[in-house]
Amino acid sequence: MRQIAAISLVQFSIVYILLLVVLAVMKKAKINQTKLLFVASVRLTLQLTLAGFILTYIFENPHPIFILMYLTSMILFAIHRVLSKNKCVNRGFKIAISLSLTCSGLGIVIFFVTAVVGQSIFDPQYVIPLSGMIIGNAMTGVNLATKTFCESLSEKRQQMESLLNLGVTPQKILLPMVNQALETALLPTLNSMLGMGIVSLPGMMTGQILSGTLPTTAILYQISIMIAICAVVCLSVFGSLYFGYKTLYNSRNQFLYL
Amino acid sequence: MDIISLSQVVFQSMIRYPDIKIPKGKTTFIHGPSGCGKSTLLKLINGTISPDSGEIVFNGNNIDDIDTIKLRRDILLVSQSVFLFSGTIEENFKKYYEYRDQETPSKEHMEKFLQICRAEFPLETRCETMSGGERQRVYIAIFLSFMPEVLMLDEPTSALDNTSSDIIMSNIKNFSDDNDMTTIVVSHYLPLAQKYGDNIIALERSRP
Repeated sequence: MRQIAAISLVQFSIVYILLLVVLAVMKKAKINQTKLLFVASVRLTLQLTLAGFILTYIFENPHPIFILMYLTSMILFAIHRVLSKNKCVNRGFKIAISLSLTCSGLGIVIFFVTAVVGQSIFDPQYVIPLSGMIIGNAMTGVNLATKTFCESLSEKRQQMESLLNLGVTPQKILLPMVNQALETALLPTLNSMLGMGIVSLPGMMTGQILSGTLPTTAILYQISIMIAICAVVCLSVFGSLYFGYKTLYNSRNQFLYL
Repeated sequence: MDIISLSQVVFQSMIRYPDIKIPKGKTTFIHGPSGCGKSTLLKLINGTISPDSGEIVFNGNNIDDIDTIKLRRDILLVSQSVFLFSGTIEENFKKYYEYRDQETPSKEHMEKFLQICRAEFPLETRCETMSGGERQRVYIAIFLSFMPEVLMLDEPTSALDNTSSDIIMSNIKNFSDDNDMTTIVVSHYLPLAQKYGDNIIALERSRP
């Protein structure tokens, strides 16, 4: 395999011509999002440039403290994103989400890097990209599940009230909603597993092939990361909802928010 | 003999209830202006909400000492907001009985209670296609079919015309009397209370 060709800055700047094409189409179609296109392009460039410098520094000066800081900030960001998008949950539910994301995210990252890849948990070359994929997907899954669960709670208010009056336990009333939210959160991952390799070559595999890795090695990485993503989504959503829903009623079997 | 009694019950520092006694095997109507806490009273009695202070006694026991699930099965509240699952009337009976871990009743049993509530529709009728009043009648019939010790109805005739209200209340009253069931009805419509109530409790808006 050949090593990846380095792109010179002049060559790189040519790609921005494509943005002008997008701009022209937007103008023609009267899509009034020129400002957004501009801001998005600038942010994309600045954020990735910054990330590039930070990662270069960390790779040249590998130290456990950098890895810990990176993982901590990534998990905190993931928790913040989920909680800020789902304002309906109470304090206990927030704790359940935070703990589930942290434990399942870290657990799967450690398992994947040390057991599957067989590298040190403090090796930035492996930990940083892999943890990004694992925790990022956990965040999306928990976000989707919590949103689905909150929507069910507000849609099914009358059903919940009727069943509670009938002498049904809150667990029995809420569990079908928990299971439905878990299924909703898992489906995108399962569907992407179905189409993988046929519909598209996934991002990580494409990146590895471009940088000169043998496709057979890239495939092993891709299959294992997909399974790890499936597991982390399942565990983080399961933990968030199963511990979270128990905060919605008290020992007198009363709903705490109806 | 009283089956339920309330003494010095205050809810969320907003509503102070008078001492109330509900006689066993009788039909008690609760009447009063909106906002006086009629529906809240029913929720306090079945333990889906708790008072700040005071005591609610059911069959001689403080309800705090009774398992809440058993309490709600013995004192069944048919709330004002009707909920039916999507599907037929028969499927709704099945679903509600499943939630109570009970076997689906026979078709005759279902039809008997539908008849009491003046909802004599074929069991295959889909509930989504029914009017508000029809759904309310089916809903009451399903709850009544569990034959609780105490049946609490919150504005059971709110979506019904006067004739239907009259017939349903008459049927439920006869059924309760025949089966020694205690019935508590919240209604804003006083003539109905005067006609079918063995006992009428008038609540007033109060501040502690």
